Amino acid sequence: MEPGDDGIQPEALEAALRETPRGAFAVAGVAVALLMAAWAAIYLFVFLPRGSIG
Amino acid sequence: MSGATEQDIVKSEFRWGMVTLAAVSFIMLAVIFAGVAMHINPPSNIERINPQALHLSAEFTEANLGTKVESNGQVTARIVATQFAFVPRCIVLPADRPVTLRFASPDVIHGILVSGTNVNTMVVPGYVSQVHTVFRTTGDLLMPCHEYCGLGHSAMLATVRVVPKDQFRPGPDGRVSCADK
Repeated sequence: MEPGDDGIQPEALEAALRETPRGAFAVAGVAVALLMAAWAAIYLFVFLPRGSIG
Repeated sequence: MSGATEQDIVKSEFRWGMVTLAAVSFIMLAVIFAGVAMHINPPSNIERINPQALHLSAEFTEANLGTKVESNGQVTARIVATQFAFVPRCIVLPADRPVTLRFASPDVIHGILVSGTNVNTMVVPGYVSQVHTVFRTTGDLLMPCHEYCGLGHSAMLATVRVVPKDQFRPGPDGRVSCADK
């Protein structure tokens, strides 16, 4: 193996760069969806029914 | 990296940017809707008072603190938040009836919240903090100081005793205290 040659084929690198974001977005999407659902539930069912204090 | 792959990544980042923009917009719209349509806003009373002469003021003298039913039927509780106690330490208020809580501080910045309700405000020396609310449940609610005010901060708390409307009976002077309940 030549110095600087990591044995990774350019085609495989391109494929990995295309595929990797899907998994990352799936994890981030589920996390953000759960966070938004929890915020909306507390806002709608706890905060708003307690009413105005102004 | 090829130009096409780079374009894919930029497109993905742009889409994720749209998701976060949608989430922030949803929260902002919900807050604006609650403020405009339901009048749910932070307390915004601006009323000045001399913090060095609270005990000489007409309103926050010791004899005038606690719960009082005004001549027009309005229930008002006046409380002084001072290092490291609330005066009085317990106030009685009726459930299912509009009440007003007024706070003043003679020393440093304090903050109050009443557990299980939206009542939450800062108490800044020089200003009268005021909140309006209707308590829906009865019982003893905890009212701690929620703004660090010094070494005794963690021991600074009071009790809001919410009693059923028919058990809220002010004396001849319109006053109600925890000693009566």
